[in-house]
Amino acid sequence: MRLAYWMYQGTAHHGVGRIANSMRGVHAVFHAPQGDDYVNPIFTMLERTPSFPQMTTSVVSGRDLAQGTIRLPETLQQIEAKLHPELMIVCASCSTILLQEDLQTISNSARTQAEVLVYDANPYRMQEILASEGLLNVLVKRYAQAQPLTPQPSVNVLGPASLGFHVRSDLMCLRRMMATLGVTINVVAPWGAALDDLRRLPAAWVNIAPYRELGQGAARQLQAEFGTPVIYEAPIGVQPTLRWLNRLVELLNEVGAQIDGPPVKLPPLTDFSLDGLSAPSGVPWFARTADMESFSGKQAFVYGDATHTVGTVKFLRDELAMEIAGAGTYLEHEADWMREQLEGYVPEDLLVTDEFQQVAKRIEALMPNLVCGTQMERHSCRKLDVPVMVIAPPTHIEDHLLAYRPQLGFDGADVLADTVYLTATLGLEKHLIDMFGDAGLEYADGPSDSALQAPVSAEATVDAEPMVVAAAPTAMALDDDVIQFVWVPEAQAMLKKVPFFVRGRVQRNTERFAREQGHTTITTELLLSAKESLGG
Amino acid sequence: MPPAQIIREDGAYHSFCGLTCVGWLYQKIKDSFFLILGTHTCAHLLQNALGVMIFARPRFGVALLEETDLSKQQPELATMINEIRAEHKPSVIFLLSSCTPEVMKVEFEGLAQKLSRPELPVLFVPASGLDYTFSQAEDSVLQALIPFCPLAPADDKRVVFLGSINDTIADDFALEAAQLDLPVGGFLPASRFAELPAIGPGTILAPVQPYLAKVANRLARERGATVLSSLFPFGPDGTRAFWEDLAMAFGKQVDLSEREARAWSRIEAHVELLRGKKVFFTADNLMELPLARFLRHAGCEIVECSSTYINKRFHGRELAALEGVRVVEQPNFDRQLRDIAELQPDIVISALATTNPLIGQGVVAKWSTEFAFMPIHGWAGIGTLAGMFTKSLRRHSQLDALADPVWTAGLMPSTIPLQVRRPTITG
Repeated sequence: MRLAYWMYQGTAHHGVGRIANSMRGVHAVFHAPQGDDYVNPIFTMLERTPSFPQMTTSVVSGRDLAQGTIRLPETLQQIEAKLHPELMIVCASCSTILLQEDLQTISNSARTQAEVLVYDANPYRMQEILASEGLLNVLVKRYAQAQPLTPQPSVNVLGPASLGFHVRSDLMCLRRMMATLGVTINVVAPWGAALDDLRRLPAAWVNIAPYRELGQGAARQLQAEFGTPVIYEAPIGVQPTLRWLNRLVELLNEVGAQIDGPPVKLPPLTDFSLDGLSAPSGVPWFARTADMESFSGKQAFVYGDATHTVGTVKFLRDELAMEIAGAGTYLEHEADWMREQLEGYVPEDLLVTDEFQQVAKRIEALMPNLVCGTQMERHSCRKLDVPVMVIAPPTHIEDHLLAYRPQLGFDGADVLADTVYLTATLGLEKHLIDMFGDAGLEYADGPSDSALQAPVSAEATVDAEPMVVAAAPTAMALDDDVIQFVWVPEAQAMLKKVPFFVRGRVQRNTERFAREQGHTTITTELLLSAKESLGG
Repeated sequence: MPPAQIIREDGAYHSFCGLTCVGWLYQKIKDSFFLILGTHTCAHLLQNALGVMIFARPRFGVALLEETDLSKQQPELATMINEIRAEHKPSVIFLLSSCTPEVMKVEFEGLAQKLSRPELPVLFVPASGLDYTFSQAEDSVLQALIPFCPLAPADDKRVVFLGSINDTIADDFALEAAQLDLPVGGFLPASRFAELPAIGPGTILAPVQPYLAKVANRLARERGATVLSSLFPFGPDGTRAFWEDLAMAFGKQVDLSEREARAWSRIEAHVELLRGKKVFFTADNLMELPLARFLRHAGCEIVECSSTYINKRFHGRELAALEGVRVVEQPNFDRQLRDIAELQPDIVISALATTNPLIGQGVVAKWSTEFAFMPIHGWAGIGTLAGMFTKSLRRHSQLDALADPVWTAGLMPSTIPLQVRRPTITG
């Protein structure tokens, strides 16, 4: 047992809901207390779904338990009457699984026309990612049927799912690239796939499975059973996308040669741009411009799921020439693969933890120029005044924007580079500020109260976040915030001369130094010796 | 009192778990810590329900039951309590139950007692999603506080306001009471654990939140306190009734009719827009009855007022004011969907889970959750309250009708057209 404040992954039943909500004619049924229905609004709020998510909680109440009432068969019948799904997927919750009921027999008693699949997602052994990946494997195994390949070169895209990170944009990007190659997309799964689509998965020439978190198990299975070759890499960054395209063309032509199909040729790269006339990505030139010179010394810390963490680390170092201060993941089962992938990229061992405090501590120790992380790192970094961008789930509503923002392909490389550019502090501007202080950009005033502020009032509304952040620019929530330091006016004045975007860091370092030296009053002398001891 | 016509259906499942009450209670009781004995599900719930509100240092956490803990009879929480004590220095820890330990039949009362220290009490709060929805669990938290409210002597006749409201609203209520010359005993909950009000046979309990029937009943039974039977202080009508009835409980007759009239005229622009509008409440936050009553007095037609839990006595006055309205407890959502399609309400107040999909069906819908977090109480809250309804109506009427389904194309994977065989975009 441990004390938890924040979860990087959702629960197993959330993973099941993500698959069901991705598909046509599939409905998830949670045999669970009413409270477990909270997964439903995650879809309606973050994805702003204009229809009801394809999941229903078949409520188990305290009274039902006492009286032995099981509403599941009735719920299944109601869903069938209302929505006519082809398949209903039943799963238990963390509490009802302890009842050890035979859900298959109970479900069968509903005698529905639709198939009912009881998915054994033990919430104590698997979380969102393993549950969704496992369920997709089950479905593909159950429905994929042997059949002839399509006459034209074709691929399946395996892995895009409801609430995936920038998933609709990624899919648009992949569709655009396939159209440019003249390759048909046979099936996308689970996003938008009906059971019939799963049945015709084996008709594709090649499977594309770019996400470590979802779809690769299904791809492996299709390879084992039907011999469909797979391209597992995620095309994140320009060079990886080029390699990915070449490899895809190679695989397609290998298959084509066997069935006497038409060959696929990589067209001129300008064909991949939006107007067909331009560079497919602006990154290679952008990275070489003088403007980007200041990025070369910049250090980044990257933390997230496996796919986006590895992709982002490589992109930052290989294509923007930044330095990597460290990397980490909350997916313990991916740690080995990530270490192998990031060999030579990361100076220290991969941070493998799902405790956000550990991640925040590492960031505080490294104080990098840029953090690429999840929603939680966004909070931690706002407290630490470190530039941060979100590159992996879990996300906040702020990450669900309208514009086309893929992470994959040439377009994704442009999106990533732009985001890095807007997030980190700029070049020439930065030198000016370093040299001449505030450069007219002053907006923060004086040292902040280093004792913890209580920034939120009881009337905090759902959109309170920016307000809260503005109210507590340097409030440290992580530790050692109980000592109240007194800054003498002269020291305060000196601190004020420090550029505003590093002032918080200087203040914290000085206070830490003061504490180590046993002082609570910060004088100019102390500030200077802190500066000296910390290397200026 | 006329007999209330309440239709009971088979269960509202689109609402939040009772555990979400920690979201406002930990802020209200500033020296508290809320420890939930639960699973990954509880932590994921809190993160998603409250994750949009980012706090510098949340004083709530989940004692996470993992697989190896399931076989243990009684969870070992002492170390964690020490950790919390060192890190947060609370004056009180609320230990909340959840579904899994309830199924495991953890003996919470004993557990909390064992962990309690005179200087740091640990109070058991039943709050699991098996039995409690959303705001309802505040009732459990307040019940846990009863033993720490000093006993007021019988001749000490004072009002104690019942229900968590923010400090500004609390100040308003204290001031208003002073103006009416009503002695105030305090607020339950108070902002600090040590400041809990004294309650005794002379206490008049004035509920300011409509989801606290059980704690009110217990205080009446155990302390002999009198529970004010009135409207809840929402809207000009409710606020007037609340204060007039409260004054009456102290033997004072006051006439606030002019004040009420002034309040109505201040919100005339809103009322004009509300008049004749059909409103449908689908049930979520347990504030539905007073909100519907206010709208009815503002000239709306309440086509359905559903709530997850209705107490005929505690909500008696509100029910009477809604006579003739269809009032449903534990409504069936599918039936509601059919009725919404048929009745074509002008606005539907619905749970977070259902609002966007309802808007997708062409209905004007609003998050009921917002009402739980907004300062809509008393005279000062009237403008905010009325504005919350009219904001939705105005915004939707200002926008073009979303007649063409093309504008939601691609958003919902299950409704995108059959998978395309041929690429449609060429590079």
